[in-house]
Amino acid sequence: MCCNADATHNQTLTPDTAIDTSEYAVQFRNVSKAYKLYRDDKHRFLSIFSRRIPHHLAYANQDISFSIKRGEAVSFFGRNGAGKSTILKMITGVAFPTEGEIIVNGRVSALLELSAGFDSHFTGRENIYLRGRILGMTDQEIGRLEDTIVEFAALDEYIDQPLRTYSSGMRARLGFACAVSIDPEVLVIDEALSVGDKAFQKKCSAKVREIIAQDHVTVLFVTHSTGIAQEFCTRGIVLDKGHVLFDGPIAEASAFYENMLGK
Amino acid sequence: MMEIVRDHWHYRRQIFKLANTDLAKTYRGAALGWAWAFIKPTITVLVFLFAFTVGFRSGQPVNGYPYYVWLITGIVPWFYMSDMLTGGAEAIRSYPYLVTKMKFPVSTISTFVSLSKFYVHILLLALTVLIYFIGGGRLDLYSLQLPLYMILMFVFSTAWSLLAAPLSAISKDFSSLVKSVGTPIFWLSGIMWNPDTVDNKAVEIFLILNPFTFLTSGYRDVFVNKRWFWEDPAASIVFLVVLALMVALAVRTHNRLRREIPDVL
Repeated sequence: MCCNADATHNQTLTPDTAIDTSEYAVQFRNVSKAYKLYRDDKHRFLSIFSRRIPHHLAYANQDISFSIKRGEAVSFFGRNGAGKSTILKMITGVAFPTEGEIIVNGRVSALLELSAGFDSHFTGRENIYLRGRILGMTDQEIGRLEDTIVEFAALDEYIDQPLRTYSSGMRARLGFACAVSIDPEVLVIDEALSVGDKAFQKKCSAKVREIIAQDHVTVLFVTHSTGIAQEFCTRGIVLDKGHVLFDGPIAEASAFYENMLGK
Repeated sequence: MMEIVRDHWHYRRQIFKLANTDLAKTYRGAALGWAWAFIKPTITVLVFLFAFTVGFRSGQPVNGYPYYVWLITGIVPWFYMSDMLTGGAEAIRSYPYLVTKMKFPVSTISTFVSLSKFYVHILLLALTVLIYFIGGGRLDLYSLQLPLYMILMFVFSTAWSLLAAPLSAISKDFSSLVKSVGTPIFWLSGIMWNPDTVDNKAVEIFLILNPFTFLTSGYRDVFVNKRWFWEDPAASIVFLVVLALMVALAVRTHNRLRREIPDVL
């Protein structure tokens, strides 16, 4: 079961480019992603020192190719484990492809597991600053966004309380507010529109629609609901077991996915 | 290697900001807050002074300086190094969201954690200089060596963190191992006893190979022993070789594991 551990790492991620004239926001060229599975943690540790430790490669994505134009809104469909989240993670730059090439143009803002990604020792407001600093913004720049974020998250006096006192819904609201407020060029949304109560969901939908309406922003969407997808997206990509099964207009993609689930 | 340097350059602003944030995080939530940066080391120093002067009835002056000056000038760099020994190894573990939730260069985590602890070291060092003055010390040419040892210690500790943090993130065993070697290193490295008075060939060789001995002795050479680093060329060269090995190993481990860390964390 042992495979080569020397897979080529070809990746060009350039999210820092301010001005980019390229037509595509995201390009995948024959991308595969394999997770190395070891028998236990001991084997994983030993693998640091020797390449000969037996392991099993579990492919989350195999030979995926697609190009997404600037300003497109694309939905990814698939059962659990189809490889949707891995694709979004690689676009975000959090995970790295095992083979193939990924090109991303523009500032990526990701909503991956909304409730996570904050430091629970800090207050909501401090986390806004922390997030901004990590992205390389100056304190003045963050200060300008602060009010927008605070207002959108609508956490009232909780904004100055440590994050560990937040409910998961409150964290999600803050996460969503941060992600949509930093002027993303590529917005990655992983099942994020189902946070909070009905009123907040409505607010989120309105905000996402507003972002999609700006024609330079690319939105990538993962959802199980074909209804929500049809509302926002123009194109759908259906994945199964790490392969792309269908890539086309959203209505056809939705039908294909519903049909696949029905079987 | 180039990639690590490039990441540090691109993220230089974030590194300093995050070092401040890390510092704030360490002393947050305690009523005494910042005071803990001083209280903990002060208690440790007082306990050792008591044990060695009252208990063991040792604690003789060294090179004309009171024992407490000798003790503090060696133990203050150790406080930073022992903080880095465990805290540096835990660097990635304590910032999982920088690895799994956003695009952030993993290698810089070690650097800002190290920097944050180094700020505390500088404060304690200022206090040390004050105590050195009280103990009859004066500024002299030897004081010029201090920045050199500070930089060497910072580089050494940061390289250690770069090496240990990915290993620690992947293996719980490694992180437990690191936590358990702190005390042995402390007692074996000539921090509480004078390595100059050792009279055993094997131990002498061990101390020359030991980077912790080199660094704490270096601080003491500045304040107490009044020695230049070139007066013991063997020790200096060996330290530089150990440091180079550490950096090479750290870079290799980092390159090997960088892409895997987000998958296992």
